[in-house]
Amino acid sequence: MRKYLYIYKATLIENLSYIANILLGFINFFIMIFVFVNLWQYIYSDSSQIINGYTMEQMIWYVLTTEVLWYGSKNKVLLQEISNDIKTGNIAYNINKPYNYVFYILSKHLGEITIKLILYIIVGILIGLCFIGPIQNFNFINVPFILLTLILGVLINSILRIIISTISFWIEDSTPFHWVYDKMILILGTLFPIEMFPDFLKPIIKCTPIFVVTYGPAKLLIDFSMQNFTQIIIAQLIYLVVSILIVAFLFSKGVKKLNVNGG
Amino acid sequence: MKIIEVKNLNKKFKIKEKEKGIKGSIKSIFKPEYKTINAVDDISFSVEEGEILAFIGPNGAGKSTTIKMLTGILYPTSGDMMVNGINPSKERKKLAYTIGTVFGQKEQLWTHLTPYDNFKFFGAIYDIPNKEIETRIEELKTTFELDEFINTPVRNLSLGQRIRCEIVASLIHKPKILFLDEPTIGLDPVVKENIRKLIKQMNKELGTTIFLTSHDIGDIEKLCKRVIIINKGKILMDDTMNNLKYHYLNKKIIEVKLKEKVDLQDEEGISILKAKGNNLKVEIDITKKDMADVIKLLDVDKIIDINISNIPLEDIITSIYKDAKALSI
Ligand SMILES: Nc1ncnc2c1ncn2[C@@H]1O[C@H](COP(=O)(O)OP(=O)(O)OP(=O)(O)O)[C@@H](O)[C@H]1O
Ligand SMILES: [Mg+2]
Repeated sequence: MRKYLYIYKATLIENLSYIANILLGFINFFIMIFVFVNLWQYIYSDSSQIINGYTMEQMIWYVLTTEVLWYGSKNKVLLQEISNDIKTGNIAYNINKPYNYVFYILSKHLGEITIKLILYIIVGILIGLCFIGPIQNFNFINVPFILLTLILGVLINSILRIIISTISFWIEDSTPFHWVYDKMILILGTLFPIEMFPDFLKPIIKCTPIFVVTYGPAKLLIDFSMQNFTQIIIAQLIYLVVSILIVAFLFSKGVKKLNVNGG
Repeated sequence: MKIIEVKNLNKKFKIKEKEKGIKGSIKSIFKPEYKTINAVDDISFSVEEGEILAFIGPNGAGKSTTIKMLTGILYPTSGDMMVNGINPSKERKKLAYTIGTVFGQKEQLWTHLTPYDNFKFFGAIYDIPNKEIETRIEELKTTFELDEFINTPVRNLSLGQRIRCEIVASLIHKPKILFLDEPTIGLDPVVKENIRKLIKQMNKELGTTIFLTSHDIGDIEKLCKRVIIINKGKILMDDTMNNLKYHYLNKKIIEVKLKEKVDLQDEEGISILKAKGNNLKVEIDITKKDMADVIKLLDVDKIIDINISNIPLEDIITSIYKDAKALSI
């Protein structure tokens, strides 16, 4: 465990020097939020209206939360580094060290995004408080539960990304698959809650990663209930276990296929 | 005790062949053609604990491929290996605790971290308690003279400095075997000499077994007691350094400067390598011709200067590379 903590710590400290870059990345985020606040304000012709059980404030907080998660946890380690390591055979040099490559990459990724995510959360809360006002019925007692699902959501998202990247063992380029996953989460998972989908789609969406990665934490933030929490956390644990099993399986298969460059 | 044992080890690479031009590219998508390379072709050898072994051969001979298999980086196509009692393709994590690897052409350090942080990181990877890492780093820092740059990010180091750090990183966990793949590539003579000294010292003091590949004859001559020569994936020779030289010791090179031209011809045991003005360079096979006879032929009275030397190791090895038959002397 200590080795992974060390990787995490080292990456985190290194990233402290890139805070300026992170701040630059906020521009995209602000534009996105601006568009959606306006869009929802337009759709909710009058602010006391309720659509599919959501008030306008809840709806905007929902989008804000999912966008924070989305922008705050995006990182090149999972998108490029794994594929590159596989394509160049670099991964073999990691595999013959006494650590697990998946945990290694995960620690590195988490180290990369921690500061970014925290900054995004702070900025997200500030934007929310300034432009929409506090969430109704928000209870601070729920914060630990919400945080737990949030962390699990980020973790599951990371592992799913790793799974997608392992495709590089078999097909040169995993970018198109990341693209599909990106668009799925971005369009179906961040813009509006699951309740907005037609009834026949809802059960399907609930089985997709959207439910555990973005919807779960955001829903709990704007409308906490113990029942929701249990449902989400169980789904997350199932996702976590299954995705770890899949990643372990794919890696053990892929490594045998590995071709290390000459030299 | 045998610390490395290799039996009938093979590694085949399948390479996609592509014909020229667009037509070739399209064809290779639909009907790819493969060529098989026997990078390592049925080799067997063993290494004793505490030995320093040179594993040499021309470019593309299969040296790196062999090291990669022995260190668990590549799976062999077939054959058996045991490294420190562990099968590298089955238990590479376990193996990793007992071996160190340095690839001269491959960075293993994190380039954005300082050497110090890298060593701490490697220490953590190998589950060494924090206190022990500190003392170990302190030790190695002095031996390898890292003081000047131990707190400079690796990406800002010179090649020689980086290689020294690479070696230190591979030694943090006191490995029993150290695999060095061209560790002195691109280094200046002083640094080379330093690194050789350190390797030798480590071997002496800790009994670390050293498995070395290099194109630098100096590395081999100064470090190794035993040489394995490999070419095209096959072992050409596996012998002690002394034997290797001994086979060639009965060949001498004479370089003379004479007062006036002497007429010397190629004959049994004598071959003229160079004749220019009053200078001569001759190779003598002393099993066939006595040195005294040759000097008489040259006419002692006319000699201004004379230099008799053994054939340099470099030439010996070159001739082995060029001509596998040279071994059957
Ligand atoms: N990943 C790979 N895919 C296909 N062929 C490879 C691969 N790695 C090595 N080879 C081939 O295997 C052979 C042996 O390569 P290797 O790297 O072991 O040579 P080497 O003895 O280390 O040579 P050098 O002195 O140039 O480093 C070469 O013909 C090389 O082209
Ligand atoms: Mg090589």
